[in-house]
Amino acid sequence: MVKIIVLVKQVFQTADLKVDRASKTVVTQGVPRVISETDKNAVEEAIRIKEKLGGKITAISLGPPEAKEALREVLAMGADEGCLLTDAAFQGSDAHATANVLAAAVTKILEYDLILCGAYSEDVYAFQVGPRLAEICNLPQITYAVKLTIEGDKAVAERDLENERQVVEAKLPCLVSVSREINEPRLPTLMAIMAASKKPMNTWTAADLKLEAHEIGFNGSLNEILRSTVSAGERKRVTLQGEPKDVAPKIVKTLLEEGVLTVS
Amino acid sequence: MSSQEHNGVWVFSESPQLMLELLGKGRKFADDLGTELVSIAIGDVDAQKLIQHGADKVLAVTNPELKTFQVDTYTDAFENLIGERKPDILLIGATRNGLEFAPRLAERLKTGCVTEATRLELDAEKKFLLVDRVSWGGNLTETHVSRAKPQIATVARGLFTPIAPDSARKGEVVTVEPKFKPPSTKLVETKPKTAKGVKVTDAAVIVSFGRGVRKKEDMAIVEQLAKTMGAVVSCSRPIAEDLHWLPEDQYVGLSGQKVSPKLYLALGISGQIQHLTGIRNSRVIVAVNNDPKAPIFEYSDYNIVADLYQMIPALIEAVRQLGKS
Repeated sequence: MVKIIVLVKQVFQTADLKVDRASKTVVTQGVPRVISETDKNAVEEAIRIKEKLGGKITAISLGPPEAKEALREVLAMGADEGCLLTDAAFQGSDAHATANVLAAAVTKILEYDLILCGAYSEDVYAFQVGPRLAEICNLPQITYAVKLTIEGDKAVAERDLENERQVVEAKLPCLVSVSREINEPRLPTLMAIMAASKKPMNTWTAADLKLEAHEIGFNGSLNEILRSTVSAGERKRVTLQGEPKDVAPKIVKTLLEEGVLTVS
Repeated sequence: MSSQEHNGVWVFSESPQLMLELLGKGRKFADDLGTELVSIAIGDVDAQKLIQHGADKVLAVTNPELKTFQVDTYTDAFENLIGERKPDILLIGATRNGLEFAPRLAERLKTGCVTEATRLELDAEKKFLLVDRVSWGGNLTETHVSRAKPQIATVARGLFTPIAPDSARKGEVVTVEPKFKPPSTKLVETKPKTAKGVKVTDAAVIVSFGRGVRKKEDMAIVEQLAKTMGAVVSCSRPIAEDLHWLPEDQYVGLSGQKVSPKLYLALGISGQIQHLTGIRNSRVIVAVNNDPKAPIFEYSDYNIVADLYQMIPALIEAVRQLGKS
């Protein structure tokens, strides 16, 4: 029996996001909200552990009320219970304040042997919330797992690094973040989707989590965003036209002259 | 915390190359701030080399247990060193270990941390480190500032350049033995990755392909072009993650490898912002795509609207011909 908490973030489908260059803001209208990819892998991994060893999977999501849809999807995949952490006071939270909210939920309310999450979120790619949460909860952490097994009271994970793979073990309870390589998340069946609507879903606010204003949101953050600008590369954007047999020597010659290509 | 209490620019990476790159940028900050540049050297690191590359001081960590990276022991050790010496800025190499470590250390110290920085500068009054990073799937670049110190940022390979080594440079080597608790994780085994030549992050020339390549067998002509150009092959995310034609180590993008070649040739890659974020440090980008409206053309130096199945053989021929002359 393993009690597992999975952290799930709902994000906008990043490929569909566009920038309004005039207002320098991201246009989110009409863009679908989806579960961040690696979080789905974390859910899948939790289900596989439960299938093998038994237990309970609680999925937590911090976000707007719409994030309940993400939790419903996770329940349809196989999680047992959903917890939506939602409050206007959570808005503007950086990785530290986000970890504070999650830590409150996992330490004040829930019981667990294992916390699973994606190594990064699809929209921000900060790689921060997992390690920060592990630090607040004083848990061992293993990041970027591509394999995971629970052996008795230990988690054994394989980490994918630049030049090597490491097998690392940690005593439970611990936090493990996973990469996309770890598994192929299942698609819920129609029956499972219907059954998911009957599974328990909690909604907790800052007050429920006994969080104070200085711990959360903009005021509880350690990082501040001073400004946002539209990402743009300054590139030459020279178009070469013509038949491939004419264009190819032209571009190769240009690249040789610029010193970025050498041929022997 | 007032900034007077915090002094010095510290750099650390377990990757020797990244350490030199961080020293390159750190040198400039230390000069601008009139403070010292300190390199944290753990294990068998050539301290003189770090000094030649810009360090004023090397904190040589000699504890044998710290030779191998473990997030717990490193967090403890850095907490100890930082608590005693109070640096203003700490730059950490954004390897996967660096990314596991930096946020945990920042949380321990209750300070901010900006991962995957794309640009670092000091504010006009030289009080704060302004750190740019991309967000919203790469669409926006945000400028962050930390409300506490030390100000921590992680930096990937290729963003900064090491300064030319100067053998006459003088610096101080201080041996330190920071305190740490026994780790809560245990490294059981290290497996080498299967060797596969030059890594994309080290490559000077990259030939990269995306969905424009229609069949797995067609990768052969891409590989042939790469061979002719002395290039390394990489790909866009769907090729590795959805089709599994190449290992994940070879896909370039925000979530994959960030590359910094002299030349990046993008074949049949539409240029989603997530991919573009991975190639932004390339010196020259050439894009080949049959769709004149492909977003990649907005972010490339040379745009070729063509069918890559015709263009690739023509390029192979052109490189061969010009190579002869």
